[in-house]
Amino acid sequence: MGKILIVDDTLFMRTLLKNILFSGGHVIAGEAGDGEDGVAKYKELKPDLVTMDVVMPKMNGIEALKAIKEFDPAARVIMCTAVGQEQMVKLAIKSGAKGYIIKPFQAPKVLEEVKSVLAS
Amino acid sequence: MKEVPVKIQFNNEWIVVKMGIGEDRIAFPAPVNKEILFKTVADVAEKKNILIITVKTDTETVYRILTVEKVLQVLKKFILASCNAYRLMAYFMSPAIRGGVMIKDAQWDKGNVVVVRSGIWFVSATKQICVPVNDVAEIELTKRDVQGKPTDVIKIDHLEGGEVTSSFVLCPLSTLQVLYNFLRDTTKSMDMKGTELDSVDQQVAMLVYSGMDSHAIENMLNIPHKQLDAIYDKILKLGLGEVITIRREIQLTTKGVRYISDATKSQTP
Repeated sequence: MGKILIVDDTLFMRTLLKNILFSGGHVIAGEAGDGEDGVAKYKELKPDLVTMDVVMPKMNGIEALKAIKEFDPAARVIMCTAVGQEQMVKLAIKSGAKGYIIKPFQAPKVLEEVKSVLAS
Repeated sequence: MKEVPVKIQFNNEWIVVKMGIGEDRIAFPAPVNKEILFKTVADVAEKKNILIITVKTDTETVYRILTVEKVLQVLKKFILASCNAYRLMAYFMSPAIRGGVMIKDAQWDKGNVVVVRSGIWFVSATKQICVPVNDVAEIELTKRDVQGKPTDVIKIDHLEGGEVTSSFVLCPLSTLQVLYNFLRDTTKSMDMKGTELDSVDQQVAMLVYSGMDSHAIENMLNIPHKQLDAIYDKILKLGLGEVITIRREIQLTTKGVRYISDATKSQTP
């Protein structure tokens, strides 16, 4: 079980992810509504894993991922984006993302992915 | 023709016969006495180890054949290569995404995409995957990174054991467009306007998709039970969902209240 930071600009997706992760026994370390806040919260909370939306205001998910990896090269980040943005996968993986989930997602698969990334 | 023992449904009973299998036909001896040319096969479906083939000549006849996996594979290979279907050579990746999670070791297979009446078959030297048309949730022309370049592909979302799974098909753009139109046409009974649900209804549907139960949905969207029930009714009426569990809320009768009061007293030292 891990301490997880959720970074997504929509309250709906944050609440959904929070519910899914909570049902899997994880602890929600915190939430952030944009990339900039996500990087700041990462430095403050030092979570075991981050779920990171790609398209966000202020700083997008890829830039936030790079900033987090610069601060902590061992950071575990799962990117989370909408259907049709799958081409971002390569860029995200190249930038150090450990996993990728595509919205809409199903709870059991998200928990499986989180478990596998936490074990890595 | 090679001969293999199979079971075939004949006059509503399963009987064992030695089926002859050639490159363009199969033949069943007495009492079935039937030769089937693969080019007359209009539909191929598979349920567990039963191959269901629909033969269209002057009339339509359905044959159900039960045999071991190895024989079924050969049979499917021959039938799918010659049956009456929309067929094209393509690269496919199936499954590529399961439940929203990318499958890390998914690879492109070179083979045939065969569209029959009841399903879409992906056939390669090592795979024979069927996506039943009734399980296709969405077909979309999209782009995917292939060897470093964004490339046009068809994405097929389908249900597999309750999980939403995505497969991709890659071929030249002109062929892709024809296949896309053909697949859209095959699955058009599933099409909707997109205006049937309002934003709250859509959020409810999305939460159901993600596996949330009614209690979690009520809490997340802060809506009363009656409103959620009405939204469920709308979703059910549109054929977008099905009831899997009915929960009940109860209140205690006088007898129940007395029982609990007594039980509490007996626990007090």
